[in-house]
Amino acid sequence: MSAQPPAAVAQVVSASLRASQLGLGITIALALAAMPLVWPNPYYIHLAALIAIYSVLLLGLDIVVGYTGEVSLGHASLFGVGSYAVGVLVFKLAMPVWVTLPAAIAVTAVFGAALALPALRVTGPYLAMVTLAFGTIVQILINEMDFLTNGPLGISLRKPEFFGHRLSATEYYYFVIVVLGLTVLVVNRILKSHLGRAFEALRDSPIASDCMAVSVYRYKVYAFVISAALAGLAGGLFTYSEEYISPNTYSIELAIQFLLAVIMGGRKTRSGPVLGAIIIVMLPNLLSDLELFRRLAVGVTVLVGAYAAFALARQRRTLQQLAPPMALLVAMAVFSFVIDDITDYRLTIFGLMILLVIYYLPDGIVGFVRNTIQQMHPNWIQRHAVIEATGDAERTWQAAGASGGGAAAAPDCVLKVEGVLMQFGGLTALNRVNMDVTRHTVHGLIGPNGSGKSTMMNVLTGIYKPTGGAIMFEGQPLAGRTSAQIAAAGVARTFQNVQLFGEMTVIENVLVGLHHSFNSNLLDVMLHTPRYRREEHGARARAAGILAFVGLASFANEEARNLPYGKQRLLEIGRALALDPRLILLDEPAAGLTAPDIRELVGIIRKIREHGITVILIEHHMDVVMEICDQVSVLDFGNKIAEGAPAQVQANPKVVEAYLGGVAELAAVGNDAGEPQ
Amino acid sequence: MEIFTQLAVSGIALGMIYAVIAFGYQLTFATSRTLNFGQGEALMLGALTGLTIAGHIGYWLMIPVVMMFGAAQGYVVERLGVAPAIKTKSEFGWIMSTIALGIIFRNTAENIWGKDDLKFPSPLSASPMKVLGVNVLPMEILVVVGAVAMMLAVEFFNRRSIYGKAVVATSNDRDAAGLMGINTGVVISFSYALSSLTAALAGVLVAPLTLTGASMGAVLGLKAFAVAIIGGLNSGLGVIVGGLILGIAETTTGYYLSTGYKDVPGLLLLLLVLAIKPSGLFGKLAIKKV
Repeated sequence: MSAQPPAAVAQVVSASLRASQLGLGITIALALAAMPLVWPNPYYIHLAALIAIYSVLLLGLDIVVGYTGEVSLGHASLFGVGSYAVGVLVFKLAMPVWVTLPAAIAVTAVFGAALALPALRVTGPYLAMVTLAFGTIVQILINEMDFLTNGPLGISLRKPEFFGHRLSATEYYYFVIVVLGLTVLVVNRILKSHLGRAFEALRDSPIASDCMAVSVYRYKVYAFVISAALAGLAGGLFTYSEEYISPNTYSIELAIQFLLAVIMGGRKTRSGPVLGAIIIVMLPNLLSDLELFRRLAVGVTVLVGAYAAFALARQRRTLQQLAPPMALLVAMAVFSFVIDDITDYRLTIFGLMILLVIYYLPDGIVGFVRNTIQQMHPNWIQRHAVIEATGDAERTWQAAGASGGGAAAAPDCVLKVEGVLMQFGGLTALNRVNMDVTRHTVHGLIGPNGSGKSTMMNVLTGIYKPTGGAIMFEGQPLAGRTSAQIAAAGVARTFQNVQLFGEMTVIENVLVGLHHSFNSNLLDVMLHTPRYRREEHGARARAAGILAFVGLASFANEEARNLPYGKQRLLEIGRALALDPRLILLDEPAAGLTAPDIRELVGIIRKIREHGITVILIEHHMDVVMEICDQVSVLDFGNKIAEGAPAQVQANPKVVEAYLGGVAELAAVGNDAGEPQ
Repeated sequence: MEIFTQLAVSGIALGMIYAVIAFGYQLTFATSRTLNFGQGEALMLGALTGLTIAGHIGYWLMIPVVMMFGAAQGYVVERLGVAPAIKTKSEFGWIMSTIALGIIFRNTAENIWGKDDLKFPSPLSASPMKVLGVNVLPMEILVVVGAVAMMLAVEFFNRRSIYGKAVVATSNDRDAAGLMGINTGVVISFSYALSSLTAALAGVLVAPLTLTGASMGAVLGLKAFAVAIIGGLNSGLGVIVGGLILGIAETTTGYYLSTGYKDVPGLLLLLLVLAIKPSGLFGKLAIKKV
């Protein structure tokens, strides 16, 4: 596959992209270094430092908001916790900066964990609600605990000292810029690693993440704690920058500004948060100067108006789409000339800005610019890192072979289902079903629609907790284990309604499945230690090998949602194989596949079994079931009505009755007994 | 002990207000899995409009007018802030837009009624009565009665009327309800109107006991969050018990520890409940479907 032209082109593109990125980075660094020389005004230097400090926080907030899709209204308070950690350590104990900043990071991370551990146990708006409450509490505590925080009076301190030299405002600016540079580097590394892939995957499909041994809860907490740590770092930097802190700074309003900044700048980018930081630092100035606000309101209206006219002429957008935001903008411009004192309406304008951004700029400024460029020059934009790795068959199956060797010691019965009962209210979906699955076989599970097959899959993978009965996998009970734990134990699955990580590329989907092969921790990822690089390299090679096996090598860097349906099903199988399972559950893999694709699928399933993996197959295509299954169990209305070799089951009158109703000719359960999907 | 009973009694009145607001969260959460982060502002607008109207037509006649105003306000919030976000399935969208609308409402109220707190004249005697040796304000009794009546009325509506059945059906399964010919969009709008109506009523009930002002809503809305989570976002009994727990916890902390700390037990309780029983004390955990 290395000889394929698209891969070669991609390689060239990504190499030139890397070079241009490096060039851009150097330019930005030089510009930032030169800034104090060009504008020596201390006010501007202070503002620039503040922008850099907010950027650190917003880069962290983006991990929670942009990647995991949770909403935190507590980042202003976490920022405050970091600020006060530094403030108190300097004020009470006169600690040096190399103690206070790490302490701020650690303390805030602990607070973040205390919030995230309970709040993320349930899905829904709980984190937003809890962090909002946290904001109020932090303000109360800072005000009330005056023995520590000096209460409403606040704490004054001076810029940090390095080796006996107290930094000047300009030197501190450079210090902050260096910290920001490091933050960008570290955040980038985290998001491009297996951790970043986990964050993205759990948002795209939580259920599939759990079934790939990537615990949604665990990685959401992880993301929040990392984000909190960065908020703490930003808070600490803020204390030294302002040289005075008081409780009122860390209000809910600031938290809302942070969220606005991330969205307005652009989610899931590094440049977006920095742009957002510039906007919110400038916002108070904008909202206090009426003349400036009028000019800006008119300017933005004219600008957007010009874009609207352009988009209309090119028929990119309809008038209906463009009318509401234009009306809002014109109203805002007119409003700016009606009022004669802006301070009274400051918050109204702020609220309107949020509404405009939420509904008409959901991808932020960076996202909008990127989308527009992509429409004109699709090649200029690379949304995903291009991964060109090649795999070989040997590595593809490395773990499967190993477990095959250990199989001699393990019992012959891989999965033992004993009297499993699953009730939803008054409905019995599985009625005391027993099933034994023998090692190295393909075990078919068939039955009419609604007979409980998919329920059985969900019970086996821990998505449903059975009402009664026991399940033993390789002699170990699965009761009480979470989906992620069951997956980690060696049970992989595919889904009847495809559950891919749609916004990730094909190879990234498989890499999420390979998450278990990483032992690297956060520190390894941040420092790119040899261990991490070895693991990432190995995982990529294996992912490429798996893709070659399921015939998707040429699609490796496509977004999964753009694949045709049949290929999506194959990708699900590939992703499941990446888990190095000893048991794989395939839920209707042939549904929606064309006849040649089905032949290919049968070959793939055979090979999976040859490599020592036991397969449970739910399928309606009877020809497939009869051809490759060693053993078949039949469910009907939650009861197991037959079990045995395919031919035996096929001849069983009960099965015929279940499928066709009444008494029918035995021969009727032939190749075409499968129901239409 | 006498002091504690006294504290408990004032806690009950406070707790019932939290319960009614939390009940409002439940109404919209049931139909659309969203809730109004500007619920406190709905309460504040109700109280302030009530104050203005009561000056013309008196307290009792004012109540139905304010309730209608509240319903209209809730409808506006749903149309402007929530409906577009539901369409795009953006959790971030509805959280931020209801917050933004709340900010705009508060700012508008500041510009109309000023930033200072106003006194809301009590329709009942302001002198406490002795009930079983404890001082009780007549207004506190009205708060409890009004709150319970409101919740019972909504329950009755849901159980007995065909429109209520549409609401319950939408709560159970929005897609299926839609396929059965129920206009779920209208049901969601209705639930927002009802939710804000409840909040506006809570506003005019609580206003005579506290002060009225543009900033009164934020803290109440927040406490009601805690109550909704402690009790369970889908349990009517839960919010009443949760409200009572929080109300009493607050008055007793305020007395025995310091009034500055009175808001702290709410959050601690909230985190504790989430850690031990995330669906709330009385809530049921929904089964996720694959």
